[in-house]
Amino acid sequence: MGLGTEGLGVAGLERREAPEPAQQTVVVTGIGAVSVWGWDAASLWRGLNTGQTGIAQAQRFKTTGHRTGVAGEVPAAPVGLDSNYPDWRRYSQADRFAVVATLEACRQAGLTEIEGSVASSTEFLSSDIGLFFGGSTAGMAEGEAFFNHLVAGDRRRARLQLLASHPLNGPGDAVARLVGITGPVRSFSSACASAGLAIGAALDALRSGEVEVAIAGGADSLCQLTYAGFNALRAVDSRPCRPFRGDRAGMSLGEGAGVVVLETLERAKKRGATVLAELVGAGASCDAHHMTAPHPRGDGAALAVQRALGDATIRPDDISFVNAHGTGTPHNDASEWNAIETVFGTRASKIPTTSTKGSVGHLLGSSGAIEAVATIQCLIARQVHPTPGDGAVDETFGVDLVTGAPRNLAAATTDVAVDGAGPERAFAVSTSFGFGGANAALVFSRESRGAAL
Amino acid sequence: MIDLSTVVVTGLGTVDAAGCGRERIAAAYRDATTHWQSVDLSAGYHASQASQLAGLTRGLDLRPWLAPAKARRMSLPSKLAVAATKMALEDAEREAVEASELPTAVVVSTAHGPTSLIDGILRQSVTKGPMAVSPALFTESVANAPAAQIAIACGALGPNLTVTQREAGVLIALAQGATEIKTGRAGCVLAVAVDELHPMLHAVLGRFGALASQDADGNEVARPFDRHRRGFVAGEGACAVVLETDSSARARGGRVLARLRAGGSAFDPHAPRTGWSKSPAPLAAALARFLERSEVAPSDIDCIVSGASGSVTGDRLEALVLKSVWGNRALPSILTPKAWLGEHSGGMLSAAVLAAEGAAFGPTPGFTTVDPELGVHPHDGSTMRRPGTILIVSLAVGGAAAWTLIERAEA
Repeated sequence: MGLGTEGLGVAGLERREAPEPAQQTVVVTGIGAVSVWGWDAASLWRGLNTGQTGIAQAQRFKTTGHRTGVAGEVPAAPVGLDSNYPDWRRYSQADRFAVVATLEACRQAGLTEIEGSVASSTEFLSSDIGLFFGGSTAGMAEGEAFFNHLVAGDRRRARLQLLASHPLNGPGDAVARLVGITGPVRSFSSACASAGLAIGAALDALRSGEVEVAIAGGADSLCQLTYAGFNALRAVDSRPCRPFRGDRAGMSLGEGAGVVVLETLERAKKRGATVLAELVGAGASCDAHHMTAPHPRGDGAALAVQRALGDATIRPDDISFVNAHGTGTPHNDASEWNAIETVFGTRASKIPTTSTKGSVGHLLGSSGAIEAVATIQCLIARQVHPTPGDGAVDETFGVDLVTGAPRNLAAATTDVAVDGAGPERAFAVSTSFGFGGANAALVFSRESRGAAL
Repeated sequence: MIDLSTVVVTGLGTVDAAGCGRERIAAAYRDATTHWQSVDLSAGYHASQASQLAGLTRGLDLRPWLAPAKARRMSLPSKLAVAATKMALEDAEREAVEASELPTAVVVSTAHGPTSLIDGILRQSVTKGPMAVSPALFTESVANAPAAQIAIACGALGPNLTVTQREAGVLIALAQGATEIKTGRAGCVLAVAVDELHPMLHAVLGRFGALASQDADGNEVARPFDRHRRGFVAGEGACAVVLETDSSARARGGRVLARLRAGGSAFDPHAPRTGWSKSPAPLAAALARFLERSEVAPSDIDCIVSGASGSVTGDRLEALVLKSVWGNRALPSILTPKAWLGEHSGGMLSAAVLAAEGAAFGPTPGFTTVDPELGVHPHDGSTMRRPGTILIVSLAVGGAAAWTLIERAEA
């Protein structure tokens, strides 16, 4: 199914009337993911629902001497996957995650019929499609290899090719190049909030009429710099992370990508696309407090969620579950619980809450993207995936942490019709809080207002 | 096209090779002076015969805007960005950024982030082992450290974003900042472009063949659009602007320096990853579409602030894009701030705002000979009528492009 190429030419263009921002309904029509569980969203969903963690001893590089040796590493790519991508050998690892997740999302959205080739993909892409991507490491792993050779005096092996995807716009540009985007391409790097902010920027662009379709998400790969850095900060757990547990001792690094295809409901209907969810609102804030520590009261985090709810024009009581940032560090989880209490009040302890990071690790700049995908999957399945990790939930929190097995969505509000399978309509919030106090929150809905899915 | 109307610039702050503050950069633009310095070659990253000059901020005194005790914990980009922001707030006569009911947002663009700290961490890791990595270095090594430090320094609780789209990032950040205001999420935005030029980055750019090599006289000169251009001179610095609504500025008696009108961006998927495309067609079509949707004809534009830097292929692409859109019409005055400051995107912001204010610009440094293929004459120093409408253009390595239309305050 094609999107048409109107608008590519200069002559004869009609000036489009941009809808009022709040009136434009934005829906999700495709999702894609690469994670420790595999190279597609289906394997992510299966892995999440095992209730087990995918975090294990890292194999990519030596971890001797570090506080921890574990990570959520993406397994080797399936045999033959590379044949779909002409530039596979030139890609950084983060580029590979990005392009694979993107094509999966595009296929699901019906934006491409390509199978085994990307050559035909430019047929449907036009200037009305934009790319909004977040990340924090890009081709750093490859840059490290360059640097190591350079410092060792081996200029021959310090090939410039290793640096081609080093800049932070590398994965986003790789995607744009692969699928032939001629509209806006924007990369964001606001630490762990990067992808959440990128998806929020995509929402802006769709609402304003700047684009009609947005590919949004993020990708990051493990690298020694961040691994050593978080170890130096003593922010990592020697065991796989245990978000919101009483004996949690830090985060676990992960890698991968998450991508969503967003478009206006009007456009999705017109081309007969299957709507998976609605992106109802986005909010952002800054702690303005400390470079690494979150605000202890969670003020900034609460502001981001409140702004997202305001943008979505829904009440806190409308939220059915929270996909928390939930890193597993003592400070983050405490701060985040305070934020949840601030936003949801006495209902905070009744809202099912989960942390995707317990299963896949912390994907840093792309964490908001894969967690957006997981949130959408939860809404589609009408069940919240469990948060892996042993140990009791921190008794100083009242958090209703989903553990052990998936939990069916319960009625979040009295005006939600409930049956055995869960509510017909549900809203969920996914949060991302980064270094430097950058916060992002996204609100998704199972049902698109004004149109049943 | 993003409609940016009703958003105005009320403050400008700069730290770059010309010095600190709008007076220093304005004087440099007027007098056509450059301030290249030698890059530190002691780390051994550079090849022999490598380019050695850059527009650096070494030796500048930032203490009037940044206390040494606070600066000590910051990376160079953070220091530059915070100092430029403080200058911009002074220029806007806004001391308390949270004066309005709406929060203040921060949007920063950076091409490469804090490269000196990344170099430091990698060096620690390689030479002393990963356990030797300093947590203090790591904390400031993230690309959004400058945006975070601005927020901390100014108490900015609004959205905090860092755009990393190479040379196009500065204009994307400007449009994103204006969007924060247009959507009602922020009452004031601190939009900043910051770049750091570390010797490692300089050496790598040299190995890519991007830097101006020495000419027959032994000079390294950026020559935007010149027939004899041989690459760009690297640069660093920060440029900050204060954005708010026209009504907000009026209500507090603030001075409007320039008005934003529209922003846009596009991508050429055929561009190589580490260079510029040979064909101007995709970006020319996108720029033409942007102008049409903005309801601005090429003939309405009085001045172009160009991202041309002296790059052989980058300048060629930009020239051909502009000529394609303008067709048989003569191009308006073209300012190329990278001829003064090197490859530091913030120069485009300062040049555009100063041009909107009616500042004088001297002849483009380094330009001597028109390239017959391009046929573009950057500003020759003649008296330039104060422009009403200015187009800022930036085409990035790798295919991204962005443009912004701004207008003088009275327009």
